[in-house]
This record gives sequence, C-alpha cells and structure tokens, in this order.
Amino acid sequence: MNRPAGRRLFGKYVVVLLLLVGGVLLLSSALDLYFSYQETKAALVRIEREQAVAAAARIEQFVQDIERQVRWTTQAAFDDPVAAQEQREIDYLRLLRNIPAIAEISHLDASGKERLRVSRLGLDAIGSQEDHSRAPKFLEARAGKTYFSPVYFRNESEPYMTVAVPAGEYGVEVTVAEVTLKAIWDVVSRIRIGQAGYAYVVDSLGRLVAHPDISLVLQKRDLSALPQVRAARGRRPAGGEEDVGMIAAGLQGGRFLTAHAPIAPLGWLVFVEQPLGEAFAPLQASIVRSIILFALGLALSVLASVLLARRMVAPIRTLQAGAARIGAGDLTHRIQVRTGDELETLGDEFNRTAARLQESYAGLEQKVEARTRELTDALEQLKALADVSRAVGSTLDLETVLDTIVARAVELSATSSGVIYEYDEATGAFHLKGSHRLEEEVVEVLRATPILLGEGAVGKAVAARAPIQVADILDEREYDVARIRAIFERLGYRSVLAVPLLLEQRIMGGLVVWRQAPGRFAPEVVNLVQTLAAQSVLAIHNARLFREIEDKGRQLESASKHKSQFLANMSHELRTPLNAILGYTKLITNNIYGEVPGKIRDVLGRVDQSGRHLLSLINDVLDVSKIEAGQLVLSLGEYSMKEVVHTVATAVEALAAEKKLSLKIMAAPDLPRGRGDERRLTQAVLNLVSNAIKFTDVGEVTVQATASDGSFLVSVSDTGPGISPADQQRIFEEFQQVDSSSTRKKGGTGLGLSIARRIVELHGGRMWVDSAPGEGSTFSFTLPVRVERREAR
Amino acid sequence: MSRRVLVIEDQEDNRRIVRDLLTSADYEVIEAETGEAGVAMAETARPGLILMDIQLPGIDGYEATRRIKANPALHHIPIIVITSYALSGDDVKAFDAGCDDYLAKPYDPFALLAKIRERLP
Ligand SMILES: Nc1ncnc2c1ncn2[C@@H]1O[C@H](COP(=O)(O)OP(=O)(O)O)[C@@H](O)[C@H]1O
Ligand SMILES: [Mg+2]
Repeated sequence: MNRPAGRRLFGKYVVVLLLLVGGVLLLSSALDLYFSYQETKAALVRIEREQAVAAAARIEQFVQDIERQVRWTTQAAFDDPVAAQEQREIDYLRLLRNIPAIAEISHLDASGKERLRVSRLGLDAIGSQEDHSRAPKFLEARAGKTYFSPVYFRNESEPYMTVAVPAGEYGVEVTVAEVTLKAIWDVVSRIRIGQAGYAYVVDSLGRLVAHPDISLVLQKRDLSALPQVRAARGRRPAGGEEDVGMIAAGLQGGRFLTAHAPIAPLGWLVFVEQPLGEAFAPLQASIVRSIILFALGLALSVLASVLLARRMVAPIRTLQAGAARIGAGDLTHRIQVRTGDELETLGDEFNRTAARLQESYAGLEQKVEARTRELTDALEQLKALADVSRAVGSTLDLETVLDTIVARAVELSATSSGVIYEYDEATGAFHLKGSHRLEEEVVEVLRATPILLGEGAVGKAVAARAPIQVADILDEREYDVARIRAIFERLGYRSVLAVPLLLEQRIMGGLVVWRQAPGRFAPEVVNLVQTLAAQSVLAIHNARLFREIEDKGRQLESASKHKSQFLANMSHELRTPLNAILGYTKLITNNIYGEVPGKIRDVLGRVDQSGRHLLSLINDVLDVSKIEAGQLVLSLGEYSMKEVVHTVATAVEALAAEKKLSLKIMAAPDLPRGRGDERRLTQAVLNLVSNAIKFTDVGEVTVQATASDGSFLVSVSDTGPGISPADQQRIFEEFQQVDSSSTRKKGGTGLGLSIARRIVELHGGRMWVDSAPGEGSTFSFTLPVRVERREAR
Repeated sequence: MSRRVLVIEDQEDNRRIVRDLLTSADYEVIEAETGEAGVAMAETARPGLILMDIQLPGIDGYEATRRIKANPALHHIPIIVITSYALSGDDVKAFDAGCDDYLAKPYDPFALLAKIRERLP
C-alpha cells in the first residue's frame, strides 16, 4: 500500500523495460519462427514434389516404352494375310520375351474380331473370332488414339492395365496388350521420404492405383474426396506446376504434408506425403531452440531491466532519501548523486538549499541560545529571589535570612564579597549582620568600629537614600574610610556598590558588595542588589515585628497566668470571710450562743442560704478560671458510682421536697467500682441534678446510673420546660443560659454545665442533652469506669 | 485522756468559731497562729487532738504536721487537717504529710465536731 516512491518507480521501470525488450524478442522470435516454418515447408514440399515428379516421369516412361514397343511390333506389313499372321505371331512372342511387363498381346481385325492372341496367362489362340467391336479399347484405338484402360486385378492381387494401339497398314486393326503394373508399384513402393513418408498414385477418377500398402489398393479406394486429391484434380487443367504442396489428412488419418505430380498420358497423379510431425521435426528443434533462446533472452532482459532500472532509480532514491532527511531537519546531510545528469543537478540544488537553511538555522540557533541564556539568567535571579523570599517568609532567624541575601547578592552580581548592615537608630552606627566570602580581618574591623552615618560607601548611600558606587577604592577622593581602604588595598578590592535599606523613609541598614576589579557597576547589577536590599528590609522588618509579637505574647501569657492566679487567690480570700459568716450562722442557729428567737432564726436561715449561694458562685468562678488556666487536675482514686449518686441525692433532697418534686434514684445494683476523681464527679452530677430541680416546676427528676462495656452511663431526666435544639449547643459553653425570662428568673451564672462537661471530658467521657421544648430534658454522660492518669486538656 | 484540742489557724474568725463550738461541747481549746508556734505548743501542752489549717504564715500545715508526726512523743496525737478547697490534690498531700483525717473548707461546724468526737470522745 504504502510503498516508497522509489519502489514504485523501480517497478514501473522494470515493467516498461521488460515490455520493450521482451516484446521485441518475442516478435522477432515469432517472425523467425514463422519464416523458418514457411521456408521449411516450402523446402519439404519441393523435395516431395521432386520425388513425385521423378516418380511420375518414370511411370510415364514405363508406359510410353510399352506403348512404343507395342506400336513398333504392329508396324510390320505383309500383303499375305497368312504371312502377316505368322510374322505377327513371331513378333508377339518376341515382345513377350523382351518385355516382362506385357502379359498378353492380341490382335483385333478391323471388324473388332480377335485374330491372334499370345499370352503368358493362358493359351495362345489364333482366329478365335471373339468380338471386341463394341469394347472401348477397340473403338478408341480404331479412332487412332492410344487407349489406356482403368486398372484391373487378376488373381485378386495383380494389377493390370489394358493398352490398345491402332495397327495395320491403314490403322484399322488394333493391337491390345495386357500390361502388369507391378513395375509401377515397385517404383511407388520404393519412394521413401524420411521415416514415414510415402508415395501413392491415383487414376484419373481419383481411385487409388498404387500404394505401399497393397490392401488399400485392392480395396479400390476412391480417394477423390481427399482434399489434396480434389485440389490436384481440380488444378490439373490449369497445368500449374508451382505450389502444389499442402497440409491435409492422410489416407489413414493424421496430418501430412503432401505434394503431387501428374502422369500426363494416363491422367494419373502421383502423391508424395510425409507426416507433419516428421516433416517439421527439424522445425520443432528450431522452435525449441527459439523458445530457449527467447527464454534466455527474456531472462537476460529481465536482468538487464532490473539492473538498468536500479541504475536509474538508485540516484532517484538517494535523492528522495536525502530530501526526506533534509526535510526531517538533518540539515548537515548532503545528497551524493554522481550521475552527471539532471539528477545530479537536482541533488546539488537540494544540497545548496540545505546549506542555506543550515546557515540561517545556525544564526537562529545562536539567537535562541543567547535568548535562552538571558532567560536562564533571569530565571536564576528569580530563583534566587524566591530563595530569599522563602528564607524571609520561613525563617525568622534574621541572621540566616541576611546571610542568604548577601550570598545571593554576591553570586548574582558576580562580585567577590558582600556584607549587610543593620542600622542602630540610637547610636547612628551600622552593625554588621551578615557577610559572604568576606575575609575575617575585615569582618573584625567592621565589628570593632562600626561605620557611622555619612561615612564610607554605605553611610553615604543611606544618607543620600540612593545606591552609591565607588569605581576605585584606592582613589582617596572617592573612598574616605582610611582604615578600611588600607585593608582593601592589601586584599585587592577595587570597587564597591552600596545600597541603602529603607522602610518608607526610615533607615534600616545597608547592603554592600565588593569587586576586585575597578570600574562602574552595570545598571542590572545595581537593580538586582536593590531588589535584594528590598527583601532584606522586609526580613529585618519581619524579624523586628516578630520580636515584638513574641514579647507581647510572653506578656499576654504571664498576664493570663496572673489572672488565673489572681482569681484563685481572690476566691480564697472571698471564701475565708464567707466561711466565717456561714460558721457563725451555723453556731447561732444551733444555739451555741443561747436560745435564738424564731424570727431571728428565720433571718439566719436566709443568711445561711445566701452565703451558700455566694460560696457556690465563687467556687464555680474558681473552677472556670482553673479550667482556663489548665490547672484543673483530677485527683484519681477509687469510688463507688452508687455512692456518688446517693451523695448528690442527699444534698438536693431538701430542695426537691421544697418544690414538691419527686426525686427518683435508679442505680443499677451491680455497678462496678470506679476509678476517677470522686469529688469532681459528684460536682458534675450535682450540677445536672440541681439544674433539673431548679428549672422544673412540676413533676419529677430521675437520676439513673448503669454500666456496660467498661463505661458508666449516668442520665438526669426532668419534666421541665425542655431546651430548643439551638440552645442545646450553647448551654454547655461558659456563661451561656437559655435566654428566656422564666430561666433568667432562676438565677445562676451559666457555668454549671460547662464545668460538669469539662470534668466528664477530663475523665475521657462525653456529655450531651436530649430535649425538646415542653418535653423535659435528659442530660447524660458516659464515663470510663477505670480512668488512668490523663493529661489535663 | 485530756479533752484539750489544739487549734492551729491564722484566721481569728475561724479560731473563734471552733473555740465556741468546742467549748460548748466541753473541750478545752488552746490556739496557735503559726505552724512553728503550733508545733511548739503541741510539745508543751500535749493536746489530745490537733486541728491543723493548711494555709499558714511561715511553715504551712503540711510541714507542721510532718514535724509533729516526726516527734515520737507526739506521734500518737490525732491531727485533723482542714484543707482549702482552692487547690486540688490537698487531701493527698495531707495524708502524705501524715494526718489522720481531713476536712475541706467550707465545712459544717457540726461535721467537724462529729469527727473530733470520733477521735476524742
Ligand atoms: N434541666 C434543664 N432544663 C431546662 N433548661 C436547663 C436545664 N439545665 C440547664 N438548662 C439551661 O442551661 C443553662 C445553663 O445551665 P448552667 O450552665 O448550669 O448555668 P446556670 O444553671 O447557672 O444557669 C441554664 O441557664 C438553663 O437555661
Ligand atoms: Mg446550674
């Protein structure tokens, strides 16, 4: 399908060349064959015809001889009939003796009656008076013509012919001779052409007269239907001698090349025939030879065509492949075609084009290379900047950042070394904060005696708020810091570029790079160093900010600690007098100081209640502050959940009774012993139960405690107002209460739930509420039965 | 056994409440305002029971308890520590120091009386 063009071209060439050479070869072979066939045929026919003519001549000769002899015998004339008869008899005997072919001779008188007969075949007869006056032999001979009878056979196998000639003085008598034709047969039988060629004779009627195969003759074959016989008989009147050969079927089938010759006096025809196969045997050899030659020629021509086509196609292929390579971009490729013709010119043309392309590509490549280099440089700068930015952003260690910046500045500006200073506003001096490849002695000098504002390159640059460069440090007018100039001179530094570090208009420091060659710095280098300087400003600024934030953080941290400490102390201080109040009240109501009248006792009850309320508030605040300060630490110990629940129940019994609420405690009988902070857990349960009692006006409060899978499940249900879903989240947060007048009236701080939840969570448990407005609330928590020490969270 | 109770407490009101409570219950009350004074008084007065507050000027209640318990002559005297609610883990520290019982502030005076009666009927 997708054969290369060269292949196709090659194929075409081969086919065309082959057609040309092969065609010519074929034609010439065919012509050669045709002509040689014709020639061979003509030659063969000629030979056959010669044979036929020869045979005809001999037969004619034989017949004429006999006729002449017979005529001559009858020439003798005697007046005496008896003498004549005797003479005739003698003549006839002599004739029989001399000419073996004559088997019988007889004399007919003018009336057609036989007078004398001398015979080898039968008895001689004299005056038999047989009447032959009506026989054709008599009639024709009497008319003066020689009569030849048709062939007839004696003894079934011997051919005979009757010859009658006029005789006598006046030619009115007739001599009749019976002639055996065996001699003719011999002639015919002897004719041989090649192996299978033979001759035969037909009479004027087309009947077979002589043939090597006697049986055919005895059958009296009528051959007048054979095309060659018909043709020969048809032509005879014209008497043409030429072109009497033809190809026809033989007597017994098969195809024969045949020629003939007439035997004039008898009207017979001699045919000579040869089977085609044999006749053309030499031609066949020549055909085979021709075919071999043709095949050879064809093979040669194929070879020649292929070679030729290859020769023609090869340079085209080379051209094509070369053009393809050049087309594919291999411009260094040159096409090698040395044919000295148009193809070579074409190849050269290609080569020239490739060369031109290569040249222009080379130019382009150089440009691309240059551009790539520029881009690479730019990219490197960008990378360096990114590096610096990352350093600025990621590390707040100012020294590291500044070292990175100086290093990049020196590398990118291709200078020898550099430093970065931070400016100290208080002293007006520049302090070395980072350096790169700067000799230790210079660093020491710079550290020992800091450069001041307005002094040296950096001092001037900052004062001018613009980059300053010194093209030659050794020039005193340009560089005024003598102590450094001396060192630089020794170290070989010649030029310096200083860029100020400014935040808005505030001086932050300076970035300086040194070079060992004198001269001005390229604007790009100045730009670059300025960019890096800007980054340094950010870094210094960030570091300062960070320092401030750190300070603030530390302050905040200690402030928060102080706050917690303060709250702890505060509540202790608050509680001490409160304890005294509660203690005295207790003593008074217990009549330690004497009998107390009812009214006072009543008031003292209120004092006690308010005091306790205040105490619980103080305790809550203290707990919350502890939680915030992360100081709420569990004191773990063995406890019984059942006891915890009952302790709480005991504590709130009075409250419940007061509100006429029924309080149900349902602790599973097989609760395992727990490990945890019993007092804190009691506090948590108490918070839930006291809430339930506080917010429920009618109905009951149920406390349930069960254990399964290593966890306690404690729930406190009430028949109170319930809590809306939105509030359910809030109420566990500090100082959060459901915002309704009815709950607000109940007082409280909004701390109870958050403390309870925190306590449970410190134990590794979880607290939640199931409630809906008007449906009551169930606060529950789970708790690992055994709590091991946990980190306070 | 003497019905003398040593109260070591820096707060005047707290001392007075305990004093009024215990005298009404026929105990003899002696008082010390600091830990050092308390330890010294325990040696001299040989009380039948000591009530020890934890937050004291000078050495604190734990230290004072340790010192008294370290003295073989005083070792047998029951000490009830009054811990502050303010700092958790007080109870553990109290028992570590060697006290016999403890009570957290704020306490019910009669609950204290009950504990004292247990140890010093
Ligand atoms: N059992 C309850 N039934 C209805 N509302 C409740 C119940 N428990 C708590 N709340 C709501 O949650 C709020 C927060 O409770 P809490 O943290 O204990 O604070 P406080 O009891 O001091 O108000 C309560 O003010 C109340 O509005
Ligand atoms: Mg509450």
